[in-house]
Formats: sequence, structure tokens, C-alpha cells
Amino acid sequence: MVSRELDRLADEELMQLVQQGDPRAFELLYDRHGGAAFSLAYRMVGDRAAAEDIVQEALLSMWRSRVRYEPARGSVRTWVLGIVHHRAIDGLRRNLVHQRRRASAEGIEEVHEAAERTDVEAARREEARSVRAAMDELPGEQLQVIELAYFGGFTHTQIAEMLEMPVGTVKGRMRLGLEKLRRQLGEVVGV
Amino acid sequence: MSEQGHESYREEIGAYLLGALSESEVEVFERHLSGCERCSEEVARLQVAADAIPRSVTPLAPPPRLKKSLMKAVTGESPGRAPRRFRLPAFPRLSPALAAALVAVGVLAGVGVSLLASGDEGKTVAARVDRARLPQASASLVEPAGSGKGALLRVQGMPTPGPGRVYQVWLRRDGEIVPGTVFSVRSDGTGAAAIPQGVKGVRQVMVTRERVGGARAPSEKP
Repeated sequence: MVSRELDRLADEELMQLVQQGDPRAFELLYDRHGGAAFSLAYRMVGDRAAAEDIVQEALLSMWRSRVRYEPARGSVRTWVLGIVHHRAIDGLRRNLVHQRRRASAEGIEEVHEAAERTDVEAARREEARSVRAAMDELPGEQLQVIELAYFGGFTHTQIAEMLEMPVGTVKGRMRLGLEKLRRQLGEVVGV
Repeated sequence: MSEQGHESYREEIGAYLLGALSESEVEVFERHLSGCERCSEEVARLQVAADAIPRSVTPLAPPPRLKKSLMKAVTGESPGRAPRRFRLPAFPRLSPALAAALVAVGVLAGVGVSLLASGDEGKTVAARVDRARLPQASASLVEPAGSGKGALLRVQGMPTPGPGRVYQVWLRRDGEIVPGTVFSVRSDGTGAAAIPQGVKGVRQVMVTRERVGGARAPSEKP
């Protein structure tokens, strides 16, 4: 059981304990960010078991490389999600041809939305709505390449082939899309 | 670094931040980045937007066993589950009768796309839409040339899936239905869904409306 004292610490303070090898602090970080990590992995691979594996592998790698965390480079949450994203892309690309995600009448496990039991969970849901709203303001062609790259794990050359357009156009839309998203987020959440 | 060389790297910043460069391209780009103040500044500026993208995902509840398994491995109190590479779940094949029923549900519930014969070149295939339920919708499947490449399903004129709902792609192979990615549509009814594994060996691509988070088998829920 994670103690109440630890529960009061900010992520960055917990990370200092994690860097000293404290598994209780790591557990608390999982409690705070494991849901987001799993949600991202599931959004990318569309399969519960594969998403679990990605999160397990990513967070174990985070535990093993904990000394490398640098607060100046971003929040703990961003660091966690970045590692999960990288792992999921790696998995998608290396299994592109052999991927077999079979549905079965047996052992079906549905994935449920996280309940809004706490203010933090409600805030996370609201954050998701706000960011999604900002993304929906992007021109369709920019949002499309951003989603194919970020969530689909496709490279810019694969996307160019799929959409039958020059690679330069795809890269340009990615950069312009991020530029516009940054402005939208500034309006929505004050980034 | 010439201005032209710099501009070509600058154009790659978006792809770099979205993880859309190959490993070798990342190496080359990061070498440039380490010596280019302007690109470094722009990467830092746009990083905010790239970092926000995963926060747009609807929060899902992770299964309790994930935490248990992870903490076992972390504490080393027991051997735990060894970290594995991207495991691909293997489920038994569906019985023909059940598979047929699921296909019927899938087609009736949304958009059915009949694939034409494969050719040497990439192709776009128009979709068959259930006009009774989606009178304004159209869809097409973009399949690039070559094997092992992903495909893209584009939709237009689709209604928003509704609160707590998403659209989900299903791939029908012989005797089985494989769940694909989930997606939503924009307010103008357009949307796209990636099929990273491609459509080789796939007889039909379908779309159903499911609860947020997707499902492991198509449901009949409207």
C-alpha cells in the first residue's frame, strides 16, 4: 500500500524517489499515469493484450532507465507517454505484416472508459475533450497526416504512398498542423 | 550548412516530432539538430503540440492485472512476467456459423467494403454503404502498391457516432473477423482509419459503431 505521505508528493518529487529505486513511488506514478499509458497504447494498436504488453514493456524500461529522467525536458506524464508511444510505434512497424488480431466468441474482454470517480479523473476527461476539440479545428488534410503518423505509426513515406501525394506535401502538412495545433491549444488551455 | 540544406531539415520537424521518420532518418535529423539553433528552437516550440496529442485520447481503465504484473517485475518479489516484445494474441478461429453471423451484423451495422482483386499497383476501392442507415455516407479503401503496406479507409458523409461511441474497423478473413482500429469522424462527416497490417488476405473491411474503446467482436448495438 502506498503511504499517504507519498500520495501528497508531486510527480517530480516521486520521480526523485523512483530514481533512488523506491518501488512504492513507482507504483504511485503508475496509479496516476498508467491509465493514460494504457489508453494511448490501446488507441494505437486496437488490441487489449497487445496494449498491455506495450505498457508493461514501456514502464519497465522507464523503471530501468529512471536515472535518465530530466525534469527540464518535460513532465513525468509526458515522459511516460513518450516512452509508450515509442514502444507502440516500434511494435506496429516490426509486426506490420504479421499482425493478427483475432476476435473470438470466447474470452472477449471489453475495454471500459475510466470512471470519473475523482476530480483528477474528471479533469483528465475534460482535458481529452479540450485537446480533441483543438485537433478538430485543424484542416482535415493536416489532421489526417498527424493521426496517421502519431496513432497509426506510419512513416511519412508510407503516408505519402497511401494518400498518393508527394512526401514533401505530407511533411509540410505535419509541420503546419502542429503549428496550428499549438496555436489552438494556446487558445483552449493556455499553453 | 547551406540555407537550402537547413530548409530541408526544417521541413522534417513535424515528421520528427510525430515519430514519422525512420530510425536512420532520425539519426541524420538529430545530428543536424545538435548543431542548428533555429531548428532546435522550432522543435522545442512545436513539441508542446506533439506532446498534447496523446492527451486527446479518451481515458480507459487499465486492467488490474497489468499493475500487478508490472509491480511484480519491478519489486522482484517474484519472477513476474518477463518483459515481452509486442505479443500478438492468438485466439481460436470462429466457427463458420458464428463467423457468418458476425459478418452479417457487421455489414448491417455500417459500411461494407468489397475488395476487388489485387493488382500490382496501388488502388482505391469504392465501398458499399448501407443506405438505409447511412444515406449520406460514402467510403473508399486506399491500398498502396506492394505487399506488407498499410491501407487507409476514408469515409465521408458519416454522422458522428454519438456520445460514448466510436466507429471501429473490422477485417474479415476466411472464418474469422479481426478487430481493427477505432476512429471518429469530424463535424463535416469526414474521417479516416488506418489499417496498419494492410489488407492482404482480407475479404472484407467493415465498420461498425461501438462503445468508446472499441470491442473485440462486432456488436449489434446501433
